[in-house]
Amino acid sequence: MERRSFFKICAKGTLLIAVSPYFIEGYLKADDGRLFKSFNRVKLLDCYGNPLKEDILQEETTYVFNYPYASTPCFLIKLSEPATKEIRLRDEEGNEYMWKGGVGKDKKVVAYSAICPHQLAHPNPNESFIGYIPKEKKSMAYKKGGVIVCASHLSAFDPKMGAKVLAGPAKEPMASIVLDVDEDGVFWANAVLGPAKFFDYFKSFKPELKEFYKNIRKAKKLVSLGAVVKPLEIYSKEVVIY
Amino acid sequence: MALSRRDLLKISTILAASTAFGSEHSKKDDDIKKSVSSYGVQNAPLPKPKGPRVVIVGGGWSGLAVAKYLKKFSPKTDVVLIEKRSVFISCPLSNLWLVDLIDLQFLTHDYLQASQNNGYIYFNATVYDIDRVSKKVFTNEGVVSYDYLVLAPGIDYDYEEWTKGDVELETKLRGFYPAGFIPGSEHFTLKRKIEEFEEGNFVLTVPGGNYRCLPAPYERASLIAWYMKKEGIKGKVVLIDENPDITIKKDGFSSAFNELYKEYIEYLPGSKITGIDLDKKRVVTDMGDEIDFTDASFYPRIRGSKLLEVAGVAKDSAFNKKEADIDPFTYQSKEDPYIYCAGDVRPMGFSKSGNTANSEGHLVAKIIASIIDGKEFKWDSPITVCYSAVSGEPIRAISVNAKYAYDKKKKAFTFKDASTMENWKGRQGIMSGKGLLEWAKGMYRDMFM
Repeated sequence: MERRSFFKICAKGTLLIAVSPYFIEGYLKADDGRLFKSFNRVKLLDCYGNPLKEDILQEETTYVFNYPYASTPCFLIKLSEPATKEIRLRDEEGNEYMWKGGVGKDKKVVAYSAICPHQLAHPNPNESFIGYIPKEKKSMAYKKGGVIVCASHLSAFDPKMGAKVLAGPAKEPMASIVLDVDEDGVFWANAVLGPAKFFDYFKSFKPELKEFYKNIRKAKKLVSLGAVVKPLEIYSKEVVIY
Repeated sequence: MALSRRDLLKISTILAASTAFGSEHSKKDDDIKKSVSSYGVQNAPLPKPKGPRVVIVGGGWSGLAVAKYLKKFSPKTDVVLIEKRSVFISCPLSNLWLVDLIDLQFLTHDYLQASQNNGYIYFNATVYDIDRVSKKVFTNEGVVSYDYLVLAPGIDYDYEEWTKGDVELETKLRGFYPAGFIPGSEHFTLKRKIEEFEEGNFVLTVPGGNYRCLPAPYERASLIAWYMKKEGIKGKVVLIDENPDITIKKDGFSSAFNELYKEYIEYLPGSKITGIDLDKKRVVTDMGDEIDFTDASFYPRIRGSKLLEVAGVAKDSAFNKKEADIDPFTYQSKEDPYIYCAGDVRPMGFSKSGNTANSEGHLVAKIIASIIDGKEFKWDSPITVCYSAVSGEPIRAISVNAKYAYDKKKKAFTFKDASTMENWKGRQGIMSGKGLLEWAKGMYRDMFM
């Protein structure tokens, strides 16, 4: 066996142990790469490069970090109340999976892939048409706040419930990022659960990704070590949500 | 009229020529190419289907979505999209291109890319006949057999109310004053008219019935007015509307007409055109208005594409002539269970917009996939998300978001959960303008990627 592949296996082995509490009992065709895929275990960092802990997160603010690839944005949101546990969800083809709930002190912290499962709108360095609407506000897409809204085609998702679709043309939930918090209170991202759209994303945004990441290979590089978490307003120059 | 010597000479030359041709004709009668039908048409050069074959006629906003999602929901299905155009041109957002707010590249897309990315066959051909007994579609490129047929051919124009059967007038209207709602040359002509316009009245019309893209004539009026204002053109848009009032996003458009384009738009609601004199360039309405125009684009009523009649699945709807005679929940033809109709040929009173057709395409794909795979399906409402620009630089837009529900008492569909954003002023209007472009990009991704 080559040394390289041996390391790979080691890495994978550790990872499985790390995510095992989140494993989905029987609802998934095991790791078929469509509804659950483990990626590098990555530490979330604040803007100064320090390990990210819950107390610096403001409630109901949209934060963004790139995971599992260098160019794929994810939302990190600390909700104003605990997320609901064990939500059964379905992708567009009807395959069922279970979202386990929030993490952190009061199980309020959730993370989702910020690529809209409908037509792939997502935050980029220039602008974002997708983000979280605080509870007391509302949007064109949905009558209530406390939801993630994609203003591009007006879909709304419930971050408390595994990002299931509340309104609009989206036919499946946003994919969720499997997080855990270690004994020091630091957040880690481990895997992607739900209908991830990375393949379509890389295919559809070649010119844009080239512009922002120099070439497609860099855009597709897997994030290792750490992922910096930024408020959406800083990640994107302009947030266009209504 | 007396014939001059020169005329006589001309005639005799023609006669001599035709005699010569005539004799040759009779000599080689058997060698002359007969019509295709007398030979029997060849099969189209397509591989043998490996699963049930669904042929979709029409690669517009619904046809493209049906093709892509049918293949996705039922991978064993063999999907062939027959489209007569070799390049896709988007009708949504074309008003922005007319006044140079976006370029043509934004609107044009590649059918081959769509088929490459989504595993179906794009067959560039024109359908001229359909045989429902043998389940065959006849095209200029050969015959294609089907197990299920989806007709998504879109609209055609219905000039009857204006022309009363005068085909000379209809031909002139189509040729010189095109409506600009079926993309291609109509739009190029309209753009040229706007660019070359010097002064006077530019007439636009809003038809009755459920016409394609309710807000588009008002958006077009606004943007042409914006262009005239920006370019310092001494002209105005005269918008003759058969409907009693602005049909959608009324507050947004009327405030734009009043506050931005008071000198540039004359809006004439509740006005039916009773006469068009193209020599005098004058239009007369039933309200007694006589409007002289420098140039115009006449948008007549619409009807279902004539292909529906060819297939024998057309019927007058509550709104327009010769639309698809289908079950409104399954899109299945009432005449033929193997035929489905989608997009702007539907008889339901949904807004005939790109977004509606696209979301309906997703649904029709699901329905046909379920039937092929023997599964259940649930009806879901199409969605109308529709932005309209009211000015440029920066683009300011208003929008509507709605679904539909069936009202059993009225036996018709009505809007459900409808909301509008009609404030084009301030940051909100500019954000909507950005949303408009982002909306379109997402839609093109959905159809082509």
